[in-house]
Amino acid sequence: MTLSRRSLLRAGALGAGALAGGGLLGACGSGSQPAPVPEFTGGDEWRRFAGTTINFISENTAPTAAIAANLQPFTELTGINVRIVNLELSALVQRVALDLASGQSQYHVIYADPYQVLAPYSAGLADLREFIDADGYPPLEGGLEDFIPTQLAATGTFEDPDKVFALPYDCPTMIWQYRQDLFDAHGDRMRDDLGFDVTPGMERTWEEFFQIAQWFNAHVDEVVAGVGTQSKQHDSLMCDFSNVLWSYGGEYFEGGSEIGLRGATDPGRSLLASDEAKEAAAFYQRLVGIAHPGSRSWDWDGVGNAMAQGQIAMCVNWHEFASGNEESLPGQVSYAPLPHGPARSSAHFGGCGIGISGNTGGAERGAAWLFVNWATSPQTQLANLASAAGGGTPTRTSVYELPEVQAAEQRPSELPNMLTGPTMEVAWRDDVIGLRPKIPMWNECDTAVFTELSKMLAGQQQPAATMDGLARRIDQIVARGWQA
Amino acid sequence: MTQTTAQPTGGQELAPERVQQMKDPRRPRRGLGFPGLLMAPAVIFMAGLSIIPFLTLIGMSFSRVRLLGGAALEWRGLDNWARALTDPNLWTSWASTVLYFVVTVGLELLIGVGVAVALHRVLRGRGLVLSLVLLPMFVAPVIVGLLGRYLVDPTFGLYTNWLQAVGIDIDPLGSPVTAFIAVALMDVWEWTPLITLITLAGLSGVNPSILEAAALDGASRTRTLFHIIFPSISNVLLVAFLIRSMDAVRYFDIITITTNGGPADATKIVPLRLYETAFRFFDLGYAAAIGLMMLAVTIAMAKVFVRLLDRKGLAQ
Repeated sequence: MTLSRRSLLRAGALGAGALAGGGLLGACGSGSQPAPVPEFTGGDEWRRFAGTTINFISENTAPTAAIAANLQPFTELTGINVRIVNLELSALVQRVALDLASGQSQYHVIYADPYQVLAPYSAGLADLREFIDADGYPPLEGGLEDFIPTQLAATGTFEDPDKVFALPYDCPTMIWQYRQDLFDAHGDRMRDDLGFDVTPGMERTWEEFFQIAQWFNAHVDEVVAGVGTQSKQHDSLMCDFSNVLWSYGGEYFEGGSEIGLRGATDPGRSLLASDEAKEAAAFYQRLVGIAHPGSRSWDWDGVGNAMAQGQIAMCVNWHEFASGNEESLPGQVSYAPLPHGPARSSAHFGGCGIGISGNTGGAERGAAWLFVNWATSPQTQLANLASAAGGGTPTRTSVYELPEVQAAEQRPSELPNMLTGPTMEVAWRDDVIGLRPKIPMWNECDTAVFTELSKMLAGQQQPAATMDGLARRIDQIVARGWQA
Repeated sequence: MTQTTAQPTGGQELAPERVQQMKDPRRPRRGLGFPGLLMAPAVIFMAGLSIIPFLTLIGMSFSRVRLLGGAALEWRGLDNWARALTDPNLWTSWASTVLYFVVTVGLELLIGVGVAVALHRVLRGRGLVLSLVLLPMFVAPVIVGLLGRYLVDPTFGLYTNWLQAVGIDIDPLGSPVTAFIAVALMDVWEWTPLITLITLAGLSGVNPSILEAAALDGASRTRTLFHIIFPSISNVLLVAFLIRSMDAVRYFDIITITTNGGPADATKIVPLRLYETAFRFFDLGYAAAIGLMMLAVTIAMAKVFVRLLDRKGLAQ
């Protein structure tokens, strides 16, 4: 057979036409409903799905490391086998998106980052009220009310507050971490030189924070620099900058903090071109200018390593780095809420929830819920806190009220992450917590934010021009809309 | 007498339509035919592997791709293509890609050929030296990226410490120029040995009698190198250039591990932007348009090389 160019083109056009109609790609997945969960016929509610195997896909975070190291209690309680897939966040997002697109459910329990999974793919997640309110399942201990309310709204809901797509699983939040030993040794002199009380806390201003860092640079040889920042062209740069932005009164969108709490598909116009945002950008540029030279290539791990290795006197980082600090510099690192700007003090919240893929059906769907229930239960959260594998901090108020947990807030502490306890109590207050916009197209907006800020820090553009350009870019991204 | 049949093979008569076809070879034959049947399984297999995905990609580039509830295409006409052609960030990435290509492939050719010429003169222990020179090539690019990142880490990196010891207090991955140089050098470190290896193979094929004649005529080493050796191995160098060029356009691993495109987008070459568009933003329609642009550039490059090889009689 001779294939002429004409016939080849004709075949190609036909193929492309079929594809444009969604024919072939449509075959990649199906919109069919998942199989119903088998009826409960009595007996132990925890063991009704014994023998089932489920897959849990998670970011490689501290709570998952703790759970992976101690799954035996769950298996003994339920008879369910859990396979955990631990990935870096961007790899997790890819796998979850493709899994949801396939119409299948390779991953039954999903680590639902509010900005990269929950907001864009909430329609692909199961509403957990289906289980919370149903008979035949063990009750959710303490109910939804036991979760810290802001965290439940931020990590578990999207647009419709009545639907709960995920339960709060971890709660890293950015706080001021500083070398207590250096402040003790040099604090008096620093105070005399600078003319203000240098005790870290939200009473300090960002300007004072800057001056303290500069003072360390000039007078203390024990560290390379007074402050380190996480200013790599990476998500960390957006996280670091956002604390300053909100403190100066800036916002990403017209909807303000509500967009972070409830989520929205149309967040309105970007406010990054405001005077407040420009002032924040100018301050951040100055701060990075005096920070450790490595700051421009550090993300949160980089700045965490620098702190642990004694290269910097202070930094802003996720509070869950406390256990690592305590291991490297026992008794030498303390914690405080972030300084305030002209508007307020703000602590960037980066917590996530765990939910269930909407494609999961049959016994696996019920088993997935039992795992979500168990993994977020007070007992498991307490065990995670004490885990040698790391462990996060609880998302339930009842755990913080336990005497052993409260005792761990002081040194010597068996639960080093709890050394941040008093600080977190302030950081999670409604008027302090900082929530980035929970919108489906946040990934692209986030990339625009940290890319343009990186250009500013490289000296390629001025802060005002950076924020003007960013606002335009984000408006363009949002204008394209989102359809999952 | 009019002859209506032909007897080209052992006196067997051919059917009238076959005869007609032999008279007019432009006339299409009906049916698959024996050769077509033989090729069919391979063609179907190839279609499954590449033609259908390729057509899908074309379809995606004119569409918005929805994922939930099964992937589906929504026709968007030329939107993605218009966006790709007017996106300044994408063109910046193309510029970075070209610069990256020129720097890495250029350095690899220069150093690789230099090392090969030097190694060719080594008579004792050449095998050992060659093994050492070739080692980087056998390391996975991801590992090269990780090694590079650790070596230039501002907190504990060996190279950074050396730089600091001589008074150069910089973070190599922290500024656009040094980050670009750092990732380019990592690529050069890994792939220069390939050029060395190919060049050495070429050098071993240079006619020794010509070299002897040149020596007898009193030609200097430089003159011999430029007028005898390089012209003799130019074909081999072209093949090495082709192999590295194709790789350089698809470069991804080391940059992802070290800078992820930063700082200030200085190392965000097109493959990284494509990956980000497809698998971070899940803007698969736009990513398909970028991917097809990359494919067009790669094909254009390949055509140039094939033409060059053809001119030298090497493409047959």
